[in-house]
Amino acid sequence: MAIDGSKIIHAVMEGSRIRESKGIIPLFGVYLSLFPVHYYNMLSFDFEKMLGKHRSTEAESLLIKAAQECGYATFQGIRNSWEWEEIVAPMIDRKEDQVGGFTAVAIAFGWGDLVVKELIPDEKLVIHVGDSYEASGYISSYGIAKSSKCYMLRGVAGAFMDLIYGEDYPDGCFDFLAEESLCRAKGDEYCEFIARKSPH
Amino acid sequence: MIDWKSELTRKGHRVVLSGQPIAMHCHHYNINLQKTLEETLGDEGVRLMYRSVENAVFFSFKSLLEQYKKLKTLKSKLEMASILYQNSGLGIIHFQDVKSHGGQINSPASHHVTGWLAKHGRRNTPGCHFARGWIAGVLEAIFDRPIGYYSVNEPKCKMMRNDECVFDVKADAA
Repeated sequence: MAIDGSKIIHAVMEGSRIRESKGIIPLFGVYLSLFPVHYYNMLSFDFEKMLGKHRSTEAESLLIKAAQECGYATFQGIRNSWEWEEIVAPMIDRKEDQVGGFTAVAIAFGWGDLVVKELIPDEKLVIHVGDSYEASGYISSYGIAKSSKCYMLRGVAGAFMDLIYGEDYPDGCFDFLAEESLCRAKGDEYCEFIARKSPH
Repeated sequence: MIDWKSELTRKGHRVVLSGQPIAMHCHHYNINLQKTLEETLGDEGVRLMYRSVENAVFFSFKSLLEQYKKLKTLKSKLEMASILYQNSGLGIIHFQDVKSHGGQINSPASHHVTGWLAKHGRRNTPGCHFARGWIAGVLEAIFDRPIGYYSVNEPKCKMMRNDECVFDVKADAA
């Protein structure tokens, strides 16, 4: 059965309006917060700028690492939640279908319009995003970039493959790594993430 | 006071809160970012986090005040700030005694405290840099002051196992 993303989006939008007495939103097995994308973009891009040109690779890999570890723990929590069991699991026939569920949750979270273009089991995942908040934020603040800028989504794309084809949780983080071959921040039409097995 | 159902909505694939694009992120990402900044840049990383929140909330809260022009009193504006904090899943915040020159704010629970303690346990220094920046930005919007006008310190923090987080606000320009 194909994943019906609209059901997941509806569940997230309704669930995000419910908070417990401490002002925390527990949803899909994680604590959720809602905050302007401007914050996340300023944090990432100023961090990169503060580390300087000679440490730009380090800045990039730290931001990707933070996102991949997060994506790995977050989506593990999500796929073990009662909401997933109730809403998403009935739409999943084979383990590859989980990617559709993950991307629908990412869309619901406002991360961009993710579309899975290719999935070769245990080998390769290709995701296209026409409007990632990172690319849009970079362009509006700094103009056209010289390199790809969607660090969060790049880490998350790797985490999706880690969870489906990597070692059992919690030993599979970074079994896959993603590249962002095309990025709207560089002037490309869309952002393209390709996750493959990591060489380690 | 605030119609959350109409404020938090979607425009296609985007999620918007009072017209501003927002993202939903969980404690794993928010705490990972904080740890990355603290470990890589130390105090500069803490300042970056504070400044980024301050900046973002200043503009988003200003825009909210523009939409809710009926809110004229300080009390009602502070109440809206508390509701926004809570409805965004950031926690509970009480503006105890706040005037234009500063004041004190308490928070018995927050997303960052819950997230930090769940992931890393107790810490030895105050860690609510996000909340400090948020308070600064929202008060600068309420009192129509420029970004950077207030400085917010946290003498007590639940991440250090104090009973609640306490924030002292001072006008830097004063």
